[in-house]
Amino acid sequence: MTSAVEIQHIRKFFSSSQVLACDDVSLDVKKGEVHAIVGENGAGKTTLMSILYGLVTPDEGQILIDGKPVRISHPNDAIFHGIGMVHQHFKLVPSFTIAENIMLGIEPNRAGFIDSATEAEKVKQLAESFGLPVDPHLRIRDISVGLQQRVEILKILQRNAQVLILDEPTAVLTPQEVREFLTVVRSLAQTGRTILFITHKLAEVKAIADRVTIMRRGRNVGTHDAKDLTIREMANLMVGRVVSLQVDKSPAKPGEVILQAERLLVAGAGGIPAVFDASLELRAGEILGIAGVSGNGQTELVEALVGMRPVDEGQITFLGEDITSATVRERRLSGLAHVPEDRMTTGLNLTTNLDENVVVTNYQNEPYSRRGIFQFAAIRRLAQEIVDRFAVKSARVGEDIKTLSGGNLQKIVLGRELKGDPKLIIANQPTRGLDVGSIEFVHKTLVEERDKGSAVLLVSVELDEILALSDRIAVMFAGRIVAVLDRSEATEEKLGLLMAGSTLESLEHDEAAAEKATPV
Amino acid sequence: MKFLRRTFDNLSIPVIAVLLGLVASSLFVALANVSPIDTYQRLFCEGFGPRGCETFGDLVFIEVENEDGSLQTVFSPLYGSGGSRIALILEQITPLILTALSAAVAFQAGMFSIGMDGQFVMGAITVAFLGYALPDQIYMLAGVSDPEAAPEALKTAMHLIVPLICLSAAMAVGAIYSWIPGYFKVKLNVNVLISTIIFNAIAVQLVGYLVNYPLRSDLNNIARTRRIDDTAWLIPFNRGIFADVEWFSGARVGIGIFIALAAVALVWFYLRRTTAGYEQRMTRGSSLFARFGGIPTDRAALRAMLISGALSGLAGALAVLGVERRIVDGFATSGVGFEGVLVAILAKESIIGILLVAPFIAGLNLGATNLQFGDIPRQLGGIIISFIILFSAMEDFIRARLTALFKWRPTRQRSAPDGEGAAA
Repeated sequence: MTSAVEIQHIRKFFSSSQVLACDDVSLDVKKGEVHAIVGENGAGKTTLMSILYGLVTPDEGQILIDGKPVRISHPNDAIFHGIGMVHQHFKLVPSFTIAENIMLGIEPNRAGFIDSATEAEKVKQLAESFGLPVDPHLRIRDISVGLQQRVEILKILQRNAQVLILDEPTAVLTPQEVREFLTVVRSLAQTGRTILFITHKLAEVKAIADRVTIMRRGRNVGTHDAKDLTIREMANLMVGRVVSLQVDKSPAKPGEVILQAERLLVAGAGGIPAVFDASLELRAGEILGIAGVSGNGQTELVEALVGMRPVDEGQITFLGEDITSATVRERRLSGLAHVPEDRMTTGLNLTTNLDENVVVTNYQNEPYSRRGIFQFAAIRRLAQEIVDRFAVKSARVGEDIKTLSGGNLQKIVLGRELKGDPKLIIANQPTRGLDVGSIEFVHKTLVEERDKGSAVLLVSVELDEILALSDRIAVMFAGRIVAVLDRSEATEEKLGLLMAGSTLESLEHDEAAAEKATPV
Repeated sequence: MKFLRRTFDNLSIPVIAVLLGLVASSLFVALANVSPIDTYQRLFCEGFGPRGCETFGDLVFIEVENEDGSLQTVFSPLYGSGGSRIALILEQITPLILTALSAAVAFQAGMFSIGMDGQFVMGAITVAFLGYALPDQIYMLAGVSDPEAAPEALKTAMHLIVPLICLSAAMAVGAIYSWIPGYFKVKLNVNVLISTIIFNAIAVQLVGYLVNYPLRSDLNNIARTRRIDDTAWLIPFNRGIFADVEWFSGARVGIGIFIALAAVALVWFYLRRTTAGYEQRMTRGSSLFARFGGIPTDRAALRAMLISGALSGLAGALAVLGVERRIVDGFATSGVGFEGVLVAILAKESIIGILLVAPFIAGLNLGATNLQFGDIPRQLGGIIISFIILFSAMEDFIRARLTALFKWRPTRQRSAPDGEGAAA
């Protein structure tokens, strides 16, 4: 097999952040293969792909396409050389139709006027030739995330891409959509196209990749045939040590009711209701997982529970007290901890130092301040305590935290939130964007807190995480809690269907029908 | 070593910025048909140098003639024959430091308020009125018909109390005038930048009206208010305690500079050492973070606006009580407030930085105004200052160029793994 893309001795140093993102990375991608690139956060995967796509200029090294050295200094160069990229966050125009999006910039025209009929026809043909049927007239805002991704892929195929770069393509998909997507990737490879995809999910690598390249700290630490490595081996190579992928946990011992939300109505951005009629109950010593595809009201629900977003209707009771209109501070004082979705802007303030970050929930109390004046010795002790207890690597008391890795930042958030033994921990996507080693740590910590008697509300779009940690599982779809299941009744299949909008009744009905149809 | 590099780094960038500004403005200087070198020597000498300063060297050491005709080399900043330029700079930076602090406090709460001009003139008009009205009232109550003949004890008491009341009143007026746009922002989400610009215009027009009509004192060609009473006057050093010190002659620097320096210390303490300052800094640094942590963000932002306004009001009060003693029509458009914004931005909102930038800007202004005495068009001064400020604002760009030039990669070892990564 010949090489489609050869990357040779690429080096990239970001002087602004003083990070050596790629350190002498070489990579050889064969024509027609599915090549996965895995690695922890900050391992340099995305930088490497951005270099290949012309978004970032390397300091050293060269790129060969079909054996010939090329200069790629702009995405246009990349497209010219047959390289296309699907970004993690789609770049589609929501108010345009599928056809308009695919043909954006290369519209067929008649005397300068767009010829929509030809446009739609062309898209239809293109879609069918790749076995990726779409209705060209639908608007992007009306179609599912999975379909949007298909449009992105068609868009780069229309520009005649031979090498497709996919950046974490499955992060936003439901399990059913993921399965469909993997088939598409396979069939594209069979047409002779080369697929390079970045992922965190090692199971997907096993499922479709021919070869896998593992990156660690800016280096390529090895390219292997995917079938030669087990998931565990890949995880160990990524992190550079042995990691545990299983969460060890004993059965829950639920205690008194800690949190009760009744029929909440919460407005999202722009005043449009984002949570409807949501009720839930959470007991001490249990983890309630909230599953759902991102953007189905989970964030608004969490913000309402912690006091960052007003509740329009309904009631929240915490430890027997009505806190529906309590401030964030009042809720925190009575024992609520919050691990927010976005640690970079919400959970931490990256423009300031470690000390000022760890004290934010407590600064107005003794011993951290007295009569409005800070007592720095006490704050430094607190910071040191968190650094020690959670082994936050390379964080130092009094120093900036903006250069720390995601995992270390999350440890600081956890350390601060778990200080003082909270009664209730609300964790929204606590492992988003973290590497395997850090995920392991966060999971272990949450289970420990549960065992100490805290109630934990875990919101996650990762089904694996929900299934591994939760004692009970609630599913959110379109702002409603559509089902609450016991962990024992939940399967990936069932949750996936619920997350995509099915109801429990219809599932039972289907099951019943299936049983009936099967002759006993 | 690390310290040396950091010091070099911090110093080299402003110096390079100034040099680039001078090089760029050379074009305009040459267009005016004067020598750039002469112009720059003149600019810096008039801005920072002692009397008789001719060359850059004179800025540090200057040869002066003693009474007996012999020559002596003296350290320029201390040389004050005919009044030191440094004393003039001290006079100029008194309001400038306060308005710059005012801007920095607002900015550090995430409120991009540039309402310093408005608050400044509101504070100024308050004391211009109280400065004579309040003593009048006191004399009347005390039954003194001729202020000249007032009992000494009463005068001493008034010298202490009247300025204090005036300053407090000006701070209160400035604070309220700044609080209103802050309230609009917090409750109605009105852009602070726009509302403070509007509030500046309102204040300037209002003060213009007051000076021209209700508070106009006489039929002088240019409208002006009555001069404030002597008991309200913060007597400058050259008219008071240091009347016979040459160094101070001609400069109306007074107790105000100590008030400004005390304000620097207090603002620094507030921002860095108190929970209230922390609240406002976090509100700005990342508002989501502040709300997430339970900080009352609205209150913190409004508090910052109050403090900011009080500082600008204080600046206006000191300009009247210590320097002008009355408001003459046109005072309201002096622009000290806006220069304060500029100083705060150039100092990157650093409180200590303001102490360094304010004298520099004040000296440049002084030099620019005096350029005309050397047959150099005064407008050139403005152009040169603008270029220097422009290049100072390009700090990040200059830093990046410098880094590229020297290929400094000081923390390379942090990201490059130590051997173990290469093994696999």
